[in-house]
Amino acid sequence: MDWTLIEKVIWFGIAAMGFSVLFNVPARTLPSIFLIGAMGGMTRLLLLQFNTNFIIASFLGAIVIGLLSIPFAHSKHAPPLVFSIPAVIPMVPGLFAYRMMLGLIRLAGDVPPEAFTQTLYETVSNGLKVMFVLMSLAGGVAVPMLVTRKQSAKHLRFGKRGH
Amino acid sequence: MLTGKQQNNDVRELGNLLLETGSLLLASGANTERVRTTLLRISTALGHHTEVLISYRSLSITITSSNHEHLFNSVRRTSHHGVNFRTVSGISRMSWRVVEEGWNIAQIKEEMARIKALPHFPRWVTLAMTGLAGAGFCRFAGGSPTDLLIVFTATVAGLTARQELTKKKYNPYLCIYAAAFVASLLAGLPAWLGLGSSHEIAFATSVLFLIPGVPLINSFSDVIDGNLQNGIIRGVNGLVISFSIALGMLTSMMLYQLY
Repeated sequence: MDWTLIEKVIWFGIAAMGFSVLFNVPARTLPSIFLIGAMGGMTRLLLLQFNTNFIIASFLGAIVIGLLSIPFAHSKHAPPLVFSIPAVIPMVPGLFAYRMMLGLIRLAGDVPPEAFTQTLYETVSNGLKVMFVLMSLAGGVAVPMLVTRKQSAKHLRFGKRGH
Repeated sequence: MLTGKQQNNDVRELGNLLLETGSLLLASGANTERVRTTLLRISTALGHHTEVLISYRSLSITITSSNHEHLFNSVRRTSHHGVNFRTVSGISRMSWRVVEEGWNIAQIKEEMARIKALPHFPRWVTLAMTGLAGAGFCRFAGGSPTDLLIVFTATVAGLTARQELTKKKYNPYLCIYAAAFVASLLAGLPAWLGLGSSHEIAFATSVLFLIPGVPLINSFSDVIDGNLQNGIIRGVNGLVISFSIALGMLTSMMLYQLY
């Protein structure tokens, strides 16, 4: 058993719940959001353990969140975004964003010529990671609604034929 | 059979109600497609034909009565965008009950009054839970227990600053700038005082409770749905929020001479 993994998964759930309280979700949805956030986080952490690319792991984690939000939307009578948005926000790569910002400040300031290439390389690499992870999080959450071609999750039931 | 005058009143009342519902949805963090489908669902259930024009800060509605004799047309400006999923969820449920239980306008009015009065979580719960969310960010970045504690405190202080300034009706970007400044100033303090060697992780993750998740995700889904204009505008809003956060951090970095 990998206890660090379990601990981080629980933190994902707690962070998802934190954002859902900040966004004032209906109180009945809180336990489900904890679960969805934890499952999304677990998907990403497990994939990262198998050396999957960080961006792809984030994308798949977001897809898991998007998929799970639909059955919970039915059982808790709330739109899917109430579940998916707070659950996906803990996946935002804050440290990369910070390093990108730091790099930009350095590049704008007086970088010695011999350090410039290294700084530029790190800044661009971190910046691209942030950009693509953000896009894959937003896209991954939207995937289930896109592939089912429905305007509302109301008539969406997996495993049954829609009416 | 409704008389002409009754139907005229009906259309006018429905129009004002839809404007109120739509602007509340927009201000609570719903994307453009959700606002449109909700408004059309309600008006179709009541038997009238409606067209809506949704922009970022205003909403325009044209309703034609079922007998094509009456027309309602009006525009309303929406308030500043915030996030309140309890409102979004309540309006979504209401729109389905209008369809399935055949509600009339008086019932919708009553339900809207109820939805507007829905409570927030107690303030201390919001502060504590957001603090924990910040601590979670710190943990994902590999923070130690001390870092978690620092980020928790910084997040609670930053969110308090944001709430107080928002109450005083300051510009929303200024509120975010101040919150990022307060949070990063607190998070950088232990390292500046010489307690512990490096708190880069705590400093970097202390402002993450401010990330514009809802504007950015709504921006993406608006673009995907073909509401490009609104999508771009929401994206710009998200970028300006991110920029305000970065400026707030930069201010405390200059004070601590961190770069």
